[in-house]
Amino acid sequence: MSYSNKVIDHYNNPRNVGSMDKNSAEVGTGLVGAPECGDVMKLQIKVNPATNVIEDAKFKTFGCGSAIASSSLATEWVKGKTIDEALAIKNTEIVKELSLPPVKIHCSVLAEDAIRAAIGDWKKKQSTPVAVAEAKV
Amino acid sequence: MWLGHSCPRRPASKIKLEEGRSVNRLMATDVNTATVAAAHSCWSCGDMRAAQFCKACGKVQPPEPVDYFSFFGLPRKLNIDTSTLEREFYSLSRKLHPDIYAGSKSQEQEWSLEQSSRLNDAYRILKDPIRRTEYLLKLEGVELEGQSKAATEEARKTGEKKQIVPPDLLEEVFELNMQLEELRATKKLGEEDPALIQELQAHKQSLEMKFNTLFDELKGYWDEWDSADKCHNEQERRRVRDKMVDLLNRRSYIRNLVRDVNEVLEA
Repeated sequence: MSYSNKVIDHYNNPRNVGSMDKNSAEVGTGLVGAPECGDVMKLQIKVNPATNVIEDAKFKTFGCGSAIASSSLATEWVKGKTIDEALAIKNTEIVKELSLPPVKIHCSVLAEDAIRAAIGDWKKKQSTPVAVAEAKV
Repeated sequence: MWLGHSCPRRPASKIKLEEGRSVNRLMATDVNTATVAAAHSCWSCGDMRAAQFCKACGKVQPPEPVDYFSFFGLPRKLNIDTSTLEREFYSLSRKLHPDIYAGSKSQEQEWSLEQSSRLNDAYRILKDPIRRTEYLLKLEGVELEGQSKAATEEARKTGEKKQIVPPDLLEEVFELNMQLEELRATKKLGEEDPALIQELQAHKQSLEMKFNTLFDELKGYWDEWDSADKCHNEQERRRVRDKMVDLLNRRSYIRNLVRDVNEVLEA
């Protein structure tokens, strides 16, 4: 089995690696992992509260090439999308885009989980702004 | 009656509700353990056969698709008598050894080979406490490999965030990986960072301790599982099962982490 060219490209030139301030009210953070392989993936989004559009996305993944490529692609895809559009991204689309073999499907699952977790975190901050402000102190 | 004396009494309504299911379960258990032999007869003499040999004429039998507990004639429990298991294993190994069947019919030779390899698989799984637990969970329908995907599908439906790995553990795994990456980069530059190495070593030690604690914790649930199973307490079975799955997940994360830390420290 070998990695597809797209996986190799994302692995060698990962897009949007980095992190944002997880305490910021505009930032949603998703930290997910898969116990079977020990991978851990952090994906962050910065959302414009007026438009609900994801303006920026960052990730940091510890795992295999497919996990890194899946999360790199996920950050590319969510950027410019609204929250609802981003929630509609399915792992199968990532599998297709990266031509992931069956044994690596769980990496795409993880990326989808990360998007959902980041959006969930952001939504929670929007509904409890007071609690967030307190947590920062 | 199948209800053991040690099983706590439950409200009458509940017993009634579960009666039907319990009877089914009881039958299923019987088929898997004691009476499996009665279901099939020996190919040679037609008498009753056990998992490996005919009880009457002693001829080797074709492998039965029974679970590993039944293969050894053991009850499907997490607390098993490992000395009985070992004794049975050596005894069966001798009796099933393909060399003994060198002069027999080719079909018997083949069966002894298949039975021997099944014997080895069964023994390898059952004697190892972790593998035994994982195996029993698998018999219970828990696929440790596939649970991540299943949880995602569930999360997609409900719109909830899925959580099969505890958040505190994820944070720790992430932070430790950051440190490992830092140390790898430092080493690449040919520099030394004794403080970071020390920190990682301390972290590794605490992880190893946690790893051992998790094992003890898991063993603590064996009794709970076996008694819930014996009492056919579905609710309790589910609770203990989920707890064991959680512990096994934590354990595999920590095992991978320790492996990664060792790799970097020894590089």
